[in-house]
Amino acid sequence: MSDTHGLYARELTVRYGGLVANSAVSITVRPGEIVGLIGPNGAGKTTFVDALTGFTPMTGEITLDGRAIDALPPHERRAAGLSRTWQSGELFGNLSTTENLLVATRRAGWTALARDVFGRHRRTGREVVDAALEMVGLVDVADTLARDLSLGQQKLVGVARAAAGGCTVLLLDEPAAGLDSMESRALALRLRSIADAGPGILLIDHDMSLVLNVCDRVTVLEFGKQIFTGDPGAARSDPRVVAAYLGTPTEVGHV
Amino acid sequence: MGTVLQFVVLGLGLGAVYIGLGSGLLLVHRATGMINFAQGAIATWGAYVFAELRNTGTLVFPIGSVDLGEPPSTATSLVIALATAIALGFAVHYLAFRPVRQNSVLAQVVVSVALLITIQALVVLRFGPNKVDVESFVPGGTVTVLGASIPTRELLIALVVVVLAALVWCYLRFTRIGIATRAASENERAAVLMGFSPSWLAAIAQAGAAFVGTVAVILASSLTGLNADYFGLLVIPALAVLLVARLESIPILVVAAIGLGSFQSLIGLLVTQPWWPVWAQSGLDQVIPFAVVMVILFVTGNRLPTRGSTQQIRLPDVPIPRMRPVVAIGLLVAAGVALALTEGTIRFGLTTSLILSLLALSYVVLTGYLGQISLAQSAFAGAAGFVLSKASVDWGVPFPVSMILCALLATALGMLVALPAFRIRGAQLAIVTLAAGLGIERFIFNNYSLSPPEGNPIADASLFGLDLAVREGRDLSRLSFSLMVLVIVAIVVWIFVRVASGDMGRAFLAVRANERAAESSGINVRRTKVIGFALSAFIAGIAGCLIGFSRGQLSAESFTVMAGLQLLAVAYLGGITTIGGSLVAGLIGPLGISYVLMRGFLDLGEYYELVLGLALILTAILNPVGIAGATHHQIEFIRRKLARRRADAAPPVDVALREEPTRV
Repeated sequence: MSDTHGLYARELTVRYGGLVANSAVSITVRPGEIVGLIGPNGAGKTTFVDALTGFTPMTGEITLDGRAIDALPPHERRAAGLSRTWQSGELFGNLSTTENLLVATRRAGWTALARDVFGRHRRTGREVVDAALEMVGLVDVADTLARDLSLGQQKLVGVARAAAGGCTVLLLDEPAAGLDSMESRALALRLRSIADAGPGILLIDHDMSLVLNVCDRVTVLEFGKQIFTGDPGAARSDPRVVAAYLGTPTEVGHV
Repeated sequence: MGTVLQFVVLGLGLGAVYIGLGSGLLLVHRATGMINFAQGAIATWGAYVFAELRNTGTLVFPIGSVDLGEPPSTATSLVIALATAIALGFAVHYLAFRPVRQNSVLAQVVVSVALLITIQALVVLRFGPNKVDVESFVPGGTVTVLGASIPTRELLIALVVVVLAALVWCYLRFTRIGIATRAASENERAAVLMGFSPSWLAAIAQAGAAFVGTVAVILASSLTGLNADYFGLLVIPALAVLLVARLESIPILVVAAIGLGSFQSLIGLLVTQPWWPVWAQSGLDQVIPFAVVMVILFVTGNRLPTRGSTQQIRLPDVPIPRMRPVVAIGLLVAAGVALALTEGTIRFGLTTSLILSLLALSYVVLTGYLGQISLAQSAFAGAAGFVLSKASVDWGVPFPVSMILCALLATALGMLVALPAFRIRGAQLAIVTLAAGLGIERFIFNNYSLSPPEGNPIADASLFGLDLAVREGRDLSRLSFSLMVLVIVAIVVWIFVRVASGDMGRAFLAVRANERAAESSGINVRRTKVIGFALSAFIAGIAGCLIGFSRGQLSAESFTVMAGLQLLAVAYLGGITTIGGSLVAGLIGPLGISYVLMRGFLDLGEYYELVLGLALILTAILNPVGIAGATHHQIEFIRRKLARRRADAAPPVDVALREEPTRV
């Protein structure tokens, strides 16, 4: 394969003691496409994102635009272009929306310290932040503290923070959880426009209609194993996928 | 070999104190999830009560005392002293620990540090600062092993304390109420479901801890005599032992405590060997606890267990500072005028306050912004002042260069102490930095070969022929020196505001708020912590140099661990998240202007520490934003009320404005 653009994960395995949380899961996310990752509760979806982004030890190979990133610490994977959101939001509650995004667009370090003290405080980067806020439609709450935002807004700030300053692939962990169907549909449109602008998206969600409608391809996990990868339409009729979801009655309503 | 064994046994007295304090600390941590830095001070109080009863027949309370005439018997005195200890344990729980059990870890650390300050101050006020003899009621004697005579008293004392620790172990392991205590440490609801009140379990744990610790200190002080400073601070090695035991295992704690005590005693033997370097003769035994904890942290590699790491830790809000030239110039002029109009001790007090506000600012950087608790700040300051003496006198380095070099040295030290912050946080980081501070104090400041007993003179500063000395003839506080301090403080505050309102300040706040999220946003959390420690230590170093200049020499007393704890106290009291807070902290800090006034006009100088400790307990419980924060809140409150009144008077077009979410 000559085309190495995007995220390639090969045979990712995560073990917690004796428990195998992810067993040889492989996934590909190319620029501009939206890939769905679904599965019942406890299937290992968040673990997979943690493994990709360096928050949990794993074995396997990860490359991003052809560069091996599996040995890098989380912040360097972010710098390399692999960005993520968190299921629980994990915003910096005591910072404003704009500041939340600025954190992600400015590098902190000794040079930043010297620039803070002796240099001019940069105004550049604000455009990037404004663009990201524009993209998710949050310009109105730019100066509101993150913890004062509604849940839906917090989720969007999380997405904007992950996307701000550019990234190759965006990993979204349940961005629609807790949103009503209106907000969820609006989110789908925004995700599509983000992907159209360049980055690939890996979308994890419980909202089956969102995932199946917006995604180009879908991967299904059950008990840490990859039981399906392919077209969203085929996923609906795949017997193993149906069985996996029928096994958890609470999920039936979404299918 | 025989001598070695003799020294090992002599170390058992110290080991017994570590076991007594350590198993109490473990019990309290099990029941409340909190670390009680005052454990040693509480036990010391009980031991003093015992000693005073036996020596003079007086039963001393925090307020008032009862003269029993004849000293009561040993047994009666023991019962009374231990009853006092248990009562103190209950009081500590209901008055200090229980009110902050839902507060931030910082507030919890501050409360127990405040208790330490309060009880230490009370001990000195009520029993005097001198060493007191304690009756040895454990039968003494010697047995001969390997040709060396081994004292049996140490063996018996260790045995008694080990039995007590075993009882604590059994309590936690086998009794229903003990199991409920362990369950409560994981999840308070679990204890409720078992039919126990978590608060009652915690109260019992505090009382038990006070009991065990007091027995250990009474027994051990019969070997050496009782001294408040010494025994109160033995909590630091006991905390190190607690960390080695991973805050959960009594058997490991007992072994580690005996090992540490004996090892420290053996070092006492080792340093008398002719081949041992002279410079490493003193203080090494106090470096050991820190070294042990560091090795454990890095060898085991795992994070120590933290309770409730998922619970959200609420810290006081941090307003991002803005450059306000008018306010800044106004404050500068006001400070300059105040310095010019005063003289003598008052001007000196004001100058000291200015310097103290820098030390408080170093806490604002590290704790307020970065969310890390360090108790080693005064050691950073002291290290800079210490080298300043060498640089200015022995090496002849000229003034501003010498100060900056020394502050950079403190910076390097700060970066070193940042290393444990990679693995631990919260109260445990406080323990490690406290141990580091004690190590630096004992190994450098109190080491006569590095720091001669006659003091470390510091050459007076001068710049472009301008004499900036603090004294001249009978003038003890020259204006030019005070103005120099003012200028330096202003420059450092300016640097702080630049950083706090820039990219680094935002990164600090992001790390404070959520380390995972910061990492996933591309922030190098470790490097950010190192930078925070570096900046904080730099500021502390500058302050240390200024303290040195103001005294004309460096004295170790200015930079003891207790002085460092008092600084944390005033920094928190003033408001640990703002510049205003650090200015307030400077005004109320030790030897600052409030202290000078309290001593000069009210003759209450000896009560300073007690008042400080009590005020701090109240602040941590009632008002986590400190004095400056509370003032800020009130100003905001009034401003919003005024805005609302104006909006009410205005046409209804403005209503939409009022419905926007209000930021507090």
